[in-house]
Amino acid sequence: MPNARPAIRRFLANYGMVLILVLLAAYYSWATWKEQYPGGEEAAAGVSEAVGDELGPGTRVLVVAQEGARAREFAAAAAAALRDRGMNVVGVVLGDPHDLRTELERRAASPDKPAAVVATREAAEWRLMQVLPERFPSLAKVRVFSPRSYWWPDFLKRSNLLAIADRIVVIAVIAIGMTMVIITGGIDLSVGSLIALSAVVSTLLVREFAGASDATAFGMVLCCLAAVLACGLMGAFSGVMVTAFSIPPFIGTLAMMLIASGLAFILAGGQSIYQVPASIDWLGRGTSLGGIPNTVTLMVVLYAGAHVLMTRTVLGRYIYAVGGNVEAARLSGVPVRWVILFVYAVCGLLAGVGGVVQASQLQSGAPTYGLMYELYVIAAVVVGGTSLGGGQGRILGTLIGAFIIAVIQNGMNLTGVESYTQKVVLGAVILGAVLLDMLKKRRST
Amino acid sequence: MAKAMVGFLAAGLSLGLLAGCGGEEGAEETGPDRPGGVIGISVLTMTNPFFKEIADAVTDEAAKSGYTVIVTSAEFDPAKQRMQVKDFLVRKVSAMILTPADSRAVGTAIKEANEAGIPVFTADIASLAEGAKVVSHIATDNYSGGRQAAKAIIQALGGKGKVAIIDHPEVESVILRTKGFRDELKESGSAIEIVGAWPGKGSKDEAFKVAQDILTAHQDLAGIFAINDPSALGACAAIEKKNRAGKIVVVGFDGQPEGKRAIKEGRIFADPIQFPDEIGRRTVQTIMKYLEGEKVPPEILIPTRLYYKADAEKDPALKAD
Repeated sequence: MPNARPAIRRFLANYGMVLILVLLAAYYSWATWKEQYPGGEEAAAGVSEAVGDELGPGTRVLVVAQEGARAREFAAAAAAALRDRGMNVVGVVLGDPHDLRTELERRAASPDKPAAVVATREAAEWRLMQVLPERFPSLAKVRVFSPRSYWWPDFLKRSNLLAIADRIVVIAVIAIGMTMVIITGGIDLSVGSLIALSAVVSTLLVREFAGASDATAFGMVLCCLAAVLACGLMGAFSGVMVTAFSIPPFIGTLAMMLIASGLAFILAGGQSIYQVPASIDWLGRGTSLGGIPNTVTLMVVLYAGAHVLMTRTVLGRYIYAVGGNVEAARLSGVPVRWVILFVYAVCGLLAGVGGVVQASQLQSGAPTYGLMYELYVIAAVVVGGTSLGGGQGRILGTLIGAFIIAVIQNGMNLTGVESYTQKVVLGAVILGAVLLDMLKKRRST
Repeated sequence: MAKAMVGFLAAGLSLGLLAGCGGEEGAEETGPDRPGGVIGISVLTMTNPFFKEIADAVTDEAAKSGYTVIVTSAEFDPAKQRMQVKDFLVRKVSAMILTPADSRAVGTAIKEANEAGIPVFTADIASLAEGAKVVSHIATDNYSGGRQAAKAIIQALGGKGKVAIIDHPEVESVILRTKGFRDELKESGSAIEIVGAWPGKGSKDEAFKVAQDILTAHQDLAGIFAINDPSALGACAAIEKKNRAGKIVVVGFDGQPEGKRAIKEGRIFADPIQFPDEIGRRTVQTIMKYLEGEKVPPEILIPTRLYYKADAEKDPALKAD
C-alpha cells in the first residue's frame, strides 16, 4: 500500500495534463461552435438539387465561385448537376468580385438575365452579393443560393486540427531534445538561434551549391542534412563546454545562442534566402500516406523513437540517472560526461531539424527565424510535466505540453482574443504548470 | 499512463479528422439583410505604435460597413504570421490584411490564402514573394515624402549649404525616401550640396554615433536629413553634445510622438509625417470596393505632409506637456 499511493498520484499528475488538453479542446469547441458551409462536389450536388426542386427546369442560372481548386470543383459539379436537371446554366464565373460584377453588368442590360445565382458560400458572402438589389435594381429579383449550412466548431474542423499540428511541429520536435537536456538537470537556450542557423545554412547551401531554384530533391536533402549536422555539432560543442569545462548550462548555451544567431546573420547577410525550388516545401507543407501531412509523420516517428529510447534502453535510464543524482550515477558506473554530451548533441540536431522544417514551410531561410522559440520549447517541456530540477519527466508529456500551447494559441486566434491578452494568458498557463509541478514535489517529499 | 494519454489524443484527433464530412445537404438563400463579415489582420508587431494605429483604424473603418476585425501580431516571426493566416482561413474571413514579417517568407502564407480564394491585401510593407497574389498594397508615398523633406531643408537653409543624410539603405521604403530627397534637391536647382550619406540603421544609438563622426568631418555642415525619427533624434543628441545646436538644421521622417515633441521643442525643424490611420482606413475602403466588384489599383500610396513647429503647437496630442 505505501507504494501504491505515490503511483496513483503520479498517474493523476500525468492524467491531469491530458485532462487539461481535453478541457481546452472542449472549451474551444464550444467557443467556436458556429455555422459551417460545405464546399466541393458534395455541396454542389446538394445545392443543385434544392435549386432544381424549387425553380424547375429551364430556369436561367449563373454559377459563381472564387478562385482555388475546391471552388473550381464546386463550380464544375454544380454546372453539370444543374444541366442534368434541365436548368439553363447561362454562365460560370470563376474569379474575383470584379469578374462577377462585369458579368452582371453585361447581363443586367441584356435580355438573358439569370433568375438565380448558385454560389459557393465564400462568393455568396462577397459584399457585391449582399448589396446586389441596391447596385443592380434590374437584378433585384435574382435569388442567390449557396450550400446549406450545418453546425460544427471551427476548432474541430479537419483543416484546423491539421493547422494545429503544423503550428507546433517545430517546437514539438525540438522539445524532445530539450526534455532530455532538462531531465539531466541542464537547459539549452540556443535552440531558437539554431533554428535560424539551420534554416539559413540549408537554404544557403541549396542556393550556392545545389543549383538554387533548379536544385534536385537529392541535392536539397543533402543540404538539409548538412545543416542538421552543423546544428548537431553546435549542440555537441555546448555539451563539451558543460562537461569538460563545467560551465553552467545556462551560461554556456546563452553564449551559443548569441554565436548561432550571429552566424546566421553573417551567413545570410541579414537578408532572407529565397532562391530555392518551390518543392522544398515537401517536408513542411506536403502530405503522403493518404493525406497525412509529412510534419505529422515526422513528429510521430521522432516521438515514438524518443519514447522507446527513454523508457526501454540503457541510455534512457542513464539520462534519468544523471538528472536524479550525478554523484550516485557516476559511482554506479554511468558515463556521465558522455550522456550529457549526447543530450546536448541530440538537442542541437533536433533544433536543426526544426530549422529545416521551418525553411520548408516558408520556402525560404532568414536569420530572424526562431526568435524566442527556446522559451516556447522550454514552456512545452515544463507544461508537459518535466521538472526543471532534473531526473523527472516524460517524452509523451512533452508532446501533450506542446499541444496545450498550440491549442491555446490557435483557440485564442479563432475566438479573436487580442494579441496583448494572448501573451498574458500564455504566461499564466506556464506559471500554472510550474506551480502544479512545485505542488507535486512538495507533496512527494 | 502513456496509453491513456495516447488514447485520449487519438480519440480527440480522429473525432476531428472525421469531421468535415457529412452535414446536411441542400441550399440556402442568402438575403441582402445583413451585409458584413469578418476581416483578419496580421501586423508586423504591436510594440510599435505605428502598427497599432493601423490596426485600430482598420477596426473602426470596418465596423462602419458591418465588418468585425480579428487583430493579430506576428511579432517579426514569419512562421507565426503564417499560422495566423491559417487561422483566418479556418475562420473563413472575407479578406485579410498583412504587413509581412518578411517580404519573401510571407509567400507560402499568401499562396495558401490564394488557393482558398480569400483575397489578401498588404499594408505598409509589400510582399516580394513570387507567385503570391496580393490584390492591393497600401502604403506611405515614401518617394514624395523624401521630396517634401528636401523642400523643408531648402526652406530652412535658404537654398544653400552643406547637408548630410543619415541613411538606412537596407530598407526599401528608405531607399525611396533618400531618392526623393536627392531628386528634389537636384531639380530645384538650389545650391545645397549633399556631402554624403552615412548608415544609421534607423536607430537612435547608431545615428548618434555616426552623426558625431559626420560633425567632426564637416565643421561647416548646415543640415542633416535623417530617414526616420529615431535617426533624427540621434542626430539631435550628437549636435547638442558638440554644442552646435541652432547651427545645424535637422529634418526627420515619420511623425512619431517623440519626433513631434522634438519638433515642438525646435530640435527637429520639420518632418514629413506618415498617416498610419489613413493607411488603415484606405485599406478597408479598398477591401470594400474589391468585395463590391470594383476594380482596385494594385498599389495605393498615401501622401505624407510636412509638419512644422507651428503644427506641433496646435497638436492636441502634444498638449499635455
